[in-house]
Amino acid sequence: MKPILTALFIVICTALASAQGEPPSVVSSVKHATEGHVWGALIFATNDATQLTGAKEPMHAELPKLNERLAKVFPFKHFEVLGQHRQDIFREYESWVVPSRDLFMKIDSKGPADNGGVNLHLQVWREQQVLVKSDAVLRKDSPLFIGGPPWKDGRLIFVLFLERK
Amino acid sequence: MKPPSEEHDLIRWIDGEMNETERTTFEERLKQDPVLAKEARQMRELSSSLRAHLPAEMRVPHADYFNTQIEVRITQMALDEARAKQAAPGWGAMFQWLRQPWFALAGTAALAVLGFFLLNPATGDASESMILSSYTPNTHVQARTYHDSAADATVLMLDGLDAVPAERKVSGINIQRSEVEPELASTTMFDSHGTPVLMISRDALGNPMITPRG
Repeated sequence: MKPILTALFIVICTALASAQGEPPSVVSSVKHATEGHVWGALIFATNDATQLTGAKEPMHAELPKLNERLAKVFPFKHFEVLGQHRQDIFREYESWVVPSRDLFMKIDSKGPADNGGVNLHLQVWREQQVLVKSDAVLRKDSPLFIGGPPWKDGRLIFVLFLERK
Repeated sequence: MKPPSEEHDLIRWIDGEMNETERTTFEERLKQDPVLAKEARQMRELSSSLRAHLPAEMRVPHADYFNTQIEVRITQMALDEARAKQAAPGWGAMFQWLRQPWFALAGTAALAVLGFFLLNPATGDASESMILSSYTPNTHVQARTYHDSAADATVLMLDGLDAVPAERKVSGINIQRSEVEPELASTTMFDSHGTPVLMISRDALGNPMITPRG
């Protein structure tokens, strides 16, 4: 009796596996063409150090003096990286940069730009609401600072940086 | 079948786009033409029904929406001009070329190019990132773009955004790579240990949906 049950079990498993069909194809940078690679970060800027969240995310090594550079644009003393995301820019698929569930970005590649860089269509989302849609050229060593919504006594900032083409 | 001009007048009448004289003239025509009057009544009912069932505010479908609308408006103006020309030829005919559609399009293009170069000083340096255009669906939000030389960064400043409530805990994530599944239209994101952290996909309205929720 036991061999019959075992054979039956194998037959059922085989049938179930074949019924599920092909697994969904997975696209990663290894398999799919990309236009570049970006680093996106959500940064909290404030003048009140007691309001910092205590996040320990490091600044990007290839973006020297990021705090000082942010301070040139935004009138705050303290800048804290809340979250960060390294992301391939897929040539044929939308790419999401999600350093936080609260503020994130969709990127569609529009091909290489003249004189280097990448042509992009950007959308900054706040949960289910798109805050801005923008066409941009992103070039290496030239970050994009996006001044986002106020939070507490400070402001949320989205930084997008082209790590490599 | 009604001629296009009559159809156009009917739509303008329903949308309230006619001036006082045009409306009076058109309503006189309605009194004398029962077929046209019937059609006007049906279209007005349909319009009212649509207005009642559609949301008062709708999202602009795409970034080029306003450009498309400008082109449509230019075409409408060209049709109006052509009708006026047929109705009252005279001295103005000498300058009709100024009213040609190609002139309006050329003027629009020239203004767009001029505005682009005047309002976008970042075009001078090919090593800088640039914001070519920006659009904020919320009309209370203003987008300003400029290049800050001191910060060596391109800035897209969004002013007028609603504040995130102070009591809300805004927390970050550290994502190192992602995998796209085209058949499921979803992206799975992984941390530095290769552990899946979240998945982003689209809901029925095309809005992003992050799971698991924070």
